[in-house]
Amino acid sequence: MRDYVIRRVLGMIPLILIVMIVAFAIFSLVPNPFAALIENPRIKKADIERLIKAWGFDLPWYLRFFKWFSGVIKGDWGPSLLYPGSSARDVIARALPVTIRVMGIEFLLSLLIALPIGIISAVKQYSVTDYVVTVFSFLGMSMPTFWFGLMMMMLFSVFLKRPSGAPLLPAGGIMTPGLEEAPFWTRFVDQLQYLVMPVLVLAFSSVGSWTRYMRSSMLEVVRQDYIRTARAKGVPERLVINKHALRNALIPIVTLVALSVPGIVGGASITEKIFNIPGMGSLIIAAETKSDYPTAMVGLMLTSVLVIVFNLIADIVYAWVDPRIKYS
Amino acid sequence: MDNREVLVDVKNLRTFFYTEDGVVPAVDGLDLTIHRGEIVGLVGESGCGKSVTALSIMRLIPNPPGKIISGEIIFHGENLLKKSEEEMRLIRGDKISMIFQEPMTSLNPVFTVGDQISEAITLHQKTDEAEARKRTVEMLHLVGIPEPERRYRQYPHELSGGMRQRVMIAMALSSNPDLLISDEATTALDVTIQAQILDLMRGLQKKLGMAILIITHNLAVVAEMAETIAIAYAGKIVENASAREIFKSPRHPYTYGLLQSIPKFAERRTNEPLPAIEGMVPSPYHMPNGCRFNPRCPFATEKCRAEEPELVELTPGHLVRCFHPIEP
Amino acid sequence: MAEQAVAAEKKKRSSDDYSYVGMVFHRLTRHKLAMAGAVMLILMMLFVFVGPLVWRADPNEQIPGLEGMFNPPSQAHPLGTDDYGRDVLARMFFGGRISLFIGFISAVSATLIGAFIGLLAGYYGGWADNLLMRFTDAMLSIPTFPLLIALASVMGKGMWQIIMVIVVFGWMSDARLVRGLALSLKEQEYVEAARAIGASANRIMWRHLFPNTLAVLIVSTTIGIGSSIIYEASISFLGFGIQAPLASWGNMLQNAQQFIWNAPRLIVYPGLAIFITVLGFNFFGDGLRDAIDPKLKL
Repeated sequence: MRDYVIRRVLGMIPLILIVMIVAFAIFSLVPNPFAALIENPRIKKADIERLIKAWGFDLPWYLRFFKWFSGVIKGDWGPSLLYPGSSARDVIARALPVTIRVMGIEFLLSLLIALPIGIISAVKQYSVTDYVVTVFSFLGMSMPTFWFGLMMMMLFSVFLKRPSGAPLLPAGGIMTPGLEEAPFWTRFVDQLQYLVMPVLVLAFSSVGSWTRYMRSSMLEVVRQDYIRTARAKGVPERLVINKHALRNALIPIVTLVALSVPGIVGGASITEKIFNIPGMGSLIIAAETKSDYPTAMVGLMLTSVLVIVFNLIADIVYAWVDPRIKYS
Repeated sequence: MDNREVLVDVKNLRTFFYTEDGVVPAVDGLDLTIHRGEIVGLVGESGCGKSVTALSIMRLIPNPPGKIISGEIIFHGENLLKKSEEEMRLIRGDKISMIFQEPMTSLNPVFTVGDQISEAITLHQKTDEAEARKRTVEMLHLVGIPEPERRYRQYPHELSGGMRQRVMIAMALSSNPDLLISDEATTALDVTIQAQILDLMRGLQKKLGMAILIITHNLAVVAEMAETIAIAYAGKIVENASAREIFKSPRHPYTYGLLQSIPKFAERRTNEPLPAIEGMVPSPYHMPNGCRFNPRCPFATEKCRAEEPELVELTPGHLVRCFHPIEP
Repeated sequence: MAEQAVAAEKKKRSSDDYSYVGMVFHRLTRHKLAMAGAVMLILMMLFVFVGPLVWRADPNEQIPGLEGMFNPPSQAHPLGTDDYGRDVLARMFFGGRISLFIGFISAVSATLIGAFIGLLAGYYGGWADNLLMRFTDAMLSIPTFPLLIALASVMGKGMWQIIMVIVVFGWMSDARLVRGLALSLKEQEYVEAARAIGASANRIMWRHLFPNTLAVLIVSTTIGIGSSIIYEASISFLGFGIQAPLASWGNMLQNAQQFIWNAPRLIVYPGLAIFITVLGFNFFGDGLRDAIDPKLKL
């Protein structure tokens, strides 16, 4: 077990290197990343010169890569160009909790809804329930989230109004300005209203795919011979499903759950943009489009590294829940 | 021999499958009698309905697509087809047990073999965990598994195919059933292992006294074990007699063909091809008119193509479904 | 004599093929969702390709002045006009063509590239497999969307650039799929036989392995078209995709968020079209998979 983990951790190093090179390479393709800054009259020419030197844009690309690479290793992620005065690390530290809150709630909610539905749908395969669930899963999976977000906004913020004339739900943001110092419950209720739409929009599509995964995993299991064996020895149907089948059907799901955790950190770029949520997703997009390369590169790299780490965690969890897997 | 108490009496059983492509009459008017403590062989090609008969007795026909249309299965004087699902569940694994073809897949991969056997025990007997555990170890010992204490904690994938089938037998016999159904239980095993398992079953039958229904496509498997042999073809019994009679003087042309296709080392000359029954098993969607065997039968006449023969007792205890039985 | 036998064998083979295709088709026609998907796709195709023949309007012609903008549906403009005073129905036709074209070309290319890499890795095994699969893993671990945006912003904003961007991040799952199939196929007798008579690696890969992965690849391409359309729409929605005056369903939504108050219908049409098309591909792909092999995991 220990050897296996050590070997896998060592195996991650080249992966992370590739990811860093790819992240770096993409931004190196930009002919002049400082063009946007030059157009900004508030930034002094000398400052830009300093940045170019600091980022090594006066050096050949491989030297520039090593400069950036050693900086990242040492924890110096460079200044944010988007938010002058902040370091890339500060900017990311501000966005991270916001994203984790939205995505974390969405993630748990989706699983809580989707897994039981997927199980029922599989157990009652070909029933009306199964058809309805299948159609809704596909609706969720085929829905362009940005469009669904806009439609929800139209419904809850434009058409549906409170008696006071205010929109039923706030169209964007994460809290009402001015309530920062309000009592806990006031803030709680306030922020909850901001969460409803983004969480619903994201959950609709992920409930769809989780339901499909759970259903197909369960269908795969219920036709196995050992399920027939369980029935043949007189196990009550409830236990056949909840013990014998579910324990097996959850094995691939647990892996998928572990693989999805990095997504919580990476955020959902478009939904965050539409609902004006200052999280990781919208930060990375903004950093990319506004030439804040230090932030964009580090943001990308962080999420990629998390994916790699959780790949390993998924494998370990897999071996833990499935007695057939040996660490070898 | 027929003055023994009748344990199971299957009368005119019809089990159909409703598939997308049409109705499959897998079992279509099948009769079968098993006496207390008797070993009965049910033999036929794949698709003749022998496994479906076994699953019908267990009431484990997957519905949809399968359904028991009509008939009676009298067990201990009561019709199993009239029992509620819960009553049936209490019989399964207790009074009637079943072992299956694939020892590789018939055990649940995520539970230890010990847990799977003791589950069967606690389901049907009022015992505490320690008692069930003790009984499980006894059963493992009984079926000839060395080091039962250690095997108890092992997972199915850690055992060989033959060992797994022994575990299945231990599980099936843990509640002292009156009837053990063995559905091709040795087919997937190596020939030497196959012989060992058959020996084990015969030994256990002598010791515990249950009746065994052996379902196989291989006449040789039941040759030495079964007292009575029933030959099934296209969902019906075509011949039913003592094993001696079947081998000595088969009366149905199909039985005769089956016997001819068993290689006999002593008699065979090298260049002579092994006689096989001409033609193919009829498509379940298009059963021939008249006798179902007529398209493949060398003795078929107009009558055979027009009318379906009844199962008649030609000599005491020897039932044949044929207009032109072979003279002994 | 021998030739006759070969010819007979060939004939048999082709009738077998027919029965396989026929069986898949038969199952497909009985798959309710697949048929629903097919109907949706046919309607969309008719809309996009036949529509412009019926409703002849220039998608790029702007009605100048304020009175041309945001017109509600009328005789002259069945779906009204947009923020530049352009006919929305005409833009829906031509935008749909672009979206479908991008979806189709990028899904097919991604599948072919993935199949190629998967075949190489699966057939050669060893270090080649290791290298290619490490690379695939690395590509899979990079969050797709931010990189799509990054690449799109770097590569420029033409249609072919968008296709390339989608392909670059779309081939990995096919590579894994094909590698798995190739690994099991190459152990089969007929491949060993081909190797024994001295068939070249190239020949074995493309003549023996590739055709056996086709059924699976068709399913994955079908579903891939749907997700490529969503990718295109998302990129264009953020302004990095197809650029005006060329229309795509995605870029018709680009400024839509601003119209949510005064012309919400401009949001409804293109999104609905994307939704129905993607749903159609997903339904159809699912049915196709069930028809080919219900046990298939994709």
